[in-house]
This record gives sequence, C-alpha cells and structure tokens, in this order.
Amino acid sequence: MIRTSVEVWIEEPLRRFVDDASVSLALLLHPSGQVLAQYGFTRAMDIMSACALAAAIHVSAAELGKQLEGKPFSGLHHAGKVRQIFLADARTASGAYIFLTVFDERSSLGLVRLYFDEFRANLAKAAPLPSEAPEPMLNENFERELNKNLAVLFGRA
Amino acid sequence: MSSPFTPVLDALTRQRGVRASLVVSAADGITIDSNLQIGQDGSRVAALAASLYRKARKSAAAAGLGGTGFMQLEAETGRLCAIGGEEIVLVVVADRSANVGLIRVEMLRAAEALA
Amino acid sequence: MSLVNYQTREITCKIVYYGPGRSGKTTNLHYIYSQVPHDRKGKMVSLATQTDRTLFFDFLPLDLGMISGFTTRFQLYTVPGQVYYQATRKLVLQGADGVVFVADSQARQLQENIESFQDLHQNLSEQSVDPRSIPLVIQYNKQDLPRDLILTTTELSDAINFRGVPDYAGDALHGPGVFETLRGISEIVLKRLSTPSSAR
Repeated sequence: MIRTSVEVWIEEPLRRFVDDASVSLALLLHPSGQVLAQYGFTRAMDIMSACALAAAIHVSAAELGKQLEGKPFSGLHHAGKVRQIFLADARTASGAYIFLTVFDERSSLGLVRLYFDEFRANLAKAAPLPSEAPEPMLNENFERELNKNLAVLFGRA
Repeated sequence: MSSPFTPVLDALTRQRGVRASLVVSAADGITIDSNLQIGQDGSRVAALAASLYRKARKSAAAAGLGGTGFMQLEAETGRLCAIGGEEIVLVVVADRSANVGLIRVEMLRAAEALA
Repeated sequence: MSLVNYQTREITCKIVYYGPGRSGKTTNLHYIYSQVPHDRKGKMVSLATQTDRTLFFDFLPLDLGMISGFTTRFQLYTVPGQVYYQATRKLVLQGADGVVFVADSQARQLQENIESFQDLHQNLSEQSVDPRSIPLVIQYNKQDLPRDLILTTTELSDAINFRGVPDYAGDALHGPGVFETLRGISEIVLKRLSTPSSAR
C-alpha cells in the first residue's frame, strides 16, 4: 500500500489515524479536488478520480446543508454492503481541506468519527502558517518537453 | 429524552459503583442510549468498547470457543463490562468497588430483555 | 491552484472545459480518452443524465509525463452547459488552473456562446479570480458542419474573443483541434509555474 503526502506535516497525523481507526483507504484533498495525502491507493489515476468525486460529494452536501439548515453539514457517512465511507472537512491555518476515508468491518463509524476528531486536531496543530509562493520549478524551455509528451500521448510522435 | 432502553440502563446505573451504562450499535459503535455522569465522553467509550467486544467475539470464535457472552476488562481504577450480540452491545463502566457478580447478573438479565 | 509536490516531484493542474450546452465539451474529453494510452489516463468519470447530458461534471485524469523533472498530471473537467446548472458550474470551476471555452460554431448558437462566456467571467469574478489573468483558450467546435450552418472562426473570434486569447478551430467528434487546444492550454498553465509569482 502506498502512503504519500504532498506536505510532510500531514504524514504523522494521517499515519496515526490510519493505524488507530484501521481504515482501508484515506484521502486528504484540497476542495478543488487535488490530492494532498493518501493511504491505501495503488494507482495515481485512481486517487485523482476519487478526489474529484469526493470533492463533488462534499461541495454538493455543503450546498444542501446551507439550503436546509443555513450552514454546511459537517460530515457525511455512506454505508455500502461491505465498505463504508466517511467524508468531512478539516480546517487548519494552511487552509480548509476535505477528508475521505473508506473502511470495512475491521473498523466502525464510531471509531472513525472518534479518531477523525483526533486527526483533525493533530492536523491543525501540525499545519504551518501559509508560506510565500515557491520559486518556479519548470525550465524556461519546458514547452519542448510538453509538446513531445503530448505528441506521444496522442500517438503523433 | 427516554428510549425503550432507558429502564434497563437506569437499573444498571443504580448498582453500587456503576459510573456509566450504554447501549451501543455493535456494527457502528454509535451510542443508542446511555446513562452517564456529567463530563463523561460516552461516544468515545461506545466506539472503543463496541470495537473491543467485536474483536473479543472474533478471538473466541478463532480459538474455537464458540460465541462470546460476558466480557470484563480490568483497569487500574475500575472495570469495563460488555455483553451483546450482532446488533447491540450493552456496556457498563464501574469502579473497582463495584460488585462484578451482581453487575454480571444484571447485565445478563438486561441482555435477555433487549434480545 | 496547481499542486506541486516537491518530495515526489509531481505537479497536478486542473483544467475546466466550459461552454454552452451541447457545444462539445464532453466530446473533447471522450476524444482525448480514446487517443491516450491506458497507462497514461485514469477512468473517465461521467456524472450524466440518462440521455448523456452532463449533470454534474465529466472528469478525466491524464499523465502528461515528465516535464523539467516533474511528473505532470492534468485533471480535465467539463461543466454542464445548460443554463439551469449555474450553481454546479460554479462548484466545478473552483480551483481551476486553466479554462478551455468550447464554443458551438453553429450560427444559431452565437447568443448562447456569448452568454456562456459572460457567465464564465462572472463566476470567476465571484470566486475572486481575475478573469483576465486565468489561463484561457477558446475552441470553435463543430467546424466540420456544413458551411451554411456555421460561422467562420474569424466571425466567431470577432464575436467572442474580445480578450484575444489563443483560439482553435475544432471538430471534437472526429478529432481535429482537440490536441491543439489541449496543448495550447497546457502551455499557458505550465508557463505560470516557470515564472516568479511576482511577475504573474
């Protein structure tokens, strides 16, 4: 199983959550649908799809909550036959994120909620303050590589 | 707010040394009803106790011991007792001074009533 | 905002295909999906109605390969084009790094194109995104239709492209213009990662 994170400070809170709650999959993502950290996925493309769907579910549920209660719902649970999902937001000084976890009979909703509260607190504690924009990371002539890669992608190389 | 489980929980909590009693969903670990003292975090106990009981049942089954009945966890300053089935787990948190035998009898009686 | 992972050296960017209903946004993604090798794309997610009209969005993750030592991935989204899906379009547009505006070249759809383009600018402004600065290209799709039904790219450009952004003729159903459009938006989006933030 791969465990990866974009930012180092997410790793420890995520590791603790996964170990304590015994979940099969976990994702921390930006509300736009981009992954920040994940556990359990084996393919990068699957992570991206899961993030897109999770972001869509979250934003839809938030809108529904605003219409029903005047404020977004704080968490969402969906039970399948074998596996269940739990989705909620986690706010830190670095920004607001969405958390999705998938669990089966090795865990339970009660445990997930319990350890999610701890995860959220640990994440908030670990999160750094927003930093300045990073230095550019692509070469000046990146277009050549981009065009070559796209040509290969579309079978035009 | 009362539920069909309130009388059972009240009877358990009346036992000397019992600090809390809970009826918990076995699958979710979510509290169905509880009788707690002020300041107690019932949801935490519910989630962990249900998980523990589920694992105890699996352990017993794996060891070829059949179904699980009464479970007791001894800690430094008290005990956690649980009994249940596929749907519901009854949990009691008690002091060391509590009469475990009596609690066990009451819990077995309560479990039969809830079944 | 493009996501950069310095540890694993990965870049992820979000591109949204925007435009009026039935202009060919989903068709663009379907064509891209049909051309790209299996190991360079994820499953295409389509949240659509029973009549294949986009209900929420289509989504296609692409692996563009290594660029300047970074594994570069694009998330391609489409929005539902019909007028009453306004709220959904706003949600999908959040966090976009670049937009492809897919215009319908049919003469009778000109007003829809204009309104949709205005809708895009309004939604961006509401999200505190400067519409003049977000990477944007325009595709004039359905240029394969009979000449008497469509406007020329010059006519369309005069009507829609008041910003003078890169634009491309397209026939998404059969492929022409799809690759060029994707290349165009990719260049502009990635260019932002190759210049200091103060210069943006």
